[in-house]
Amino acid sequence: MKTIQALISVTSAAEMILSGKTLSIAGDETALRKLPLGNWIGGTIPYFMAAGGGTISRDEVFVTEVSDFESTPQLRFYDEGSLAQICRNAPENGYSVVIIPAFSACHANFAANAPNYEDMYMKPLIGWIAGVHLDDLGKIKPKVVLGTTGEFSEENTVVMDVTLPPEKFAQIDIVNLFRPGNGPGITFDDTGFSAGACQIDGTPANLADYLLDNGIDTRLPLVADYSGAMINVSIKGIERSSKRVEFYAPVFPGVEYRVAAPISDYHHAIESALPKVNGEIAFSCNCILNFLYSDLEGKHTGHIIGPMTFGEIGYQLLNQTMVFLNVGD
Amino acid sequence: MKPEDMLRQALEIDAPWHITRMRNDLGKQQIDLWVAQETPRGSWFFGAKNTTPQGSERVWRHINIGKARCMVHAIPPTSPDQQQLPWFGEAEQPFTHALARQIAGMFLEGISFQAICSLLDIPVAELWKFKHNLDQGKAGLSSPQPSHATGAEQAASNVPEATDPVWEKLLDGSINLDIRALSLKLLLTKLREQFALITDGDVRMLKTHEMQRYFVRHEKMLGHELAQLVQLSGL
Repeated sequence: MKTIQALISVTSAAEMILSGKTLSIAGDETALRKLPLGNWIGGTIPYFMAAGGGTISRDEVFVTEVSDFESTPQLRFYDEGSLAQICRNAPENGYSVVIIPAFSACHANFAANAPNYEDMYMKPLIGWIAGVHLDDLGKIKPKVVLGTTGEFSEENTVVMDVTLPPEKFAQIDIVNLFRPGNGPGITFDDTGFSAGACQIDGTPANLADYLLDNGIDTRLPLVADYSGAMINVSIKGIERSSKRVEFYAPVFPGVEYRVAAPISDYHHAIESALPKVNGEIAFSCNCILNFLYSDLEGKHTGHIIGPMTFGEIGYQLLNQTMVFLNVGD
Repeated sequence: MKPEDMLRQALEIDAPWHITRMRNDLGKQQIDLWVAQETPRGSWFFGAKNTTPQGSERVWRHINIGKARCMVHAIPPTSPDQQQLPWFGEAEQPFTHALARQIAGMFLEGISFQAICSLLDIPVAELWKFKHNLDQGKAGLSSPQPSHATGAEQAASNVPEATDPVWEKLLDGSINLDIRALSLKLLLTKLREQFALITDGDVRMLKTHEMQRYFVRHEKMLGHELAQLVQLSGL
């Protein structure tokens, strides 16, 4: 069965839920609250890459239908204390879709500790960080929803565990156009969502000073090479008074970062960067920063669509990265 | 759920078996449990009763309850199916099947004798007895660890054995692979960072086993990486 991914009306989504389909849904909180109980999980976000191009909508929801499962997917909340069990509890053959509300304790815990969760990287874990319309920042909190009970949460993580038949397997991949630039290597002594002190090419320095003194475009993330996977840490802002740089994901000690090389035209570059996928895309999402910085409203990013989120999850927390999952035989 | 039911669940003591007695004063940090089979009396009025014991009671060391040792006292059942219950043990073994499997899993991970004794608070002599019985074919493990490949899978697998030096070379960076799988890129990066800091031989072996386990688990999607690894393994 082909996976359905589409930006649709609340009425159409409600019909899909009532017909018994298992869904992952992204939408503005007001839209999600209109949906009936059923086999779905959701998270708040009004930014989407739809078949018609980049879209901001508070009225429509983006649904991803989950199919090809061997047994009914398990839907549940995890709190911060139980979050580390997320991979251990995942099916032996299958995948898990996870949605975490931005700015929650779960968000901070996952960002800093996910690489060390038991069974991490052994079982496919994909998902995103729920957000809000940028006009609502500081007024409304991002939330996730457990559709079986209709409960919304701004603190808990919602997870869907999907068991696949033995002949199928799930595989996660990313598309990140950013590459390390020609600047110096930057390392940190501690894990953190912000940093001041660092080493630049091995010499003690202050990151805020370095970025300001060199007039670096902070829309460019720091990029690290993880055995060939380019992993971004996006810059949220520079606190001039405290001389600290705030990030959208933590930096880790022992990892060498470089400021990314600029990309002149994101939506054209990504069209040519998309890999040929064997099997069908079962889930995908992209980053709101790519949407904003590359002005993607009305533009396409190849055939991969989905919510534009406050953070992407491809095993661990990612920034400014397209993430997708395909199910193959 | 009652605390007693949660304890039964944690120790995998399922109905019709139940805990008839508990003591915590027979040894330091030790909890002793007596387990018996419950059979219905045939009337709601009388409720359930314990089956009359047949045979002599035996004691096995079961999986720990927190830091406390757990000793199970029971009369072995005659049914072969019931003899494989996780909280029973074999006649000449000091451990229940569940603890035996836990220890065997640790052996497979390459954890040293001393480390296992320390981690599980097991006397060295008991562990040697267990290992000797296993090596001599005097005891089995009753069921394989679910996280490991079955014998048939291993026989058909192209993944080098966990003891192959290729794993250490991969983790210490002596060799590199062209990697397509995202999960492998991320896992290898993490394990290499850890490997660079670890000097203890046993712990390094744990990491090489973890890497090998990943390949066994994902062999189906790692054709590109595995082909390189097999070639490097033969050098």
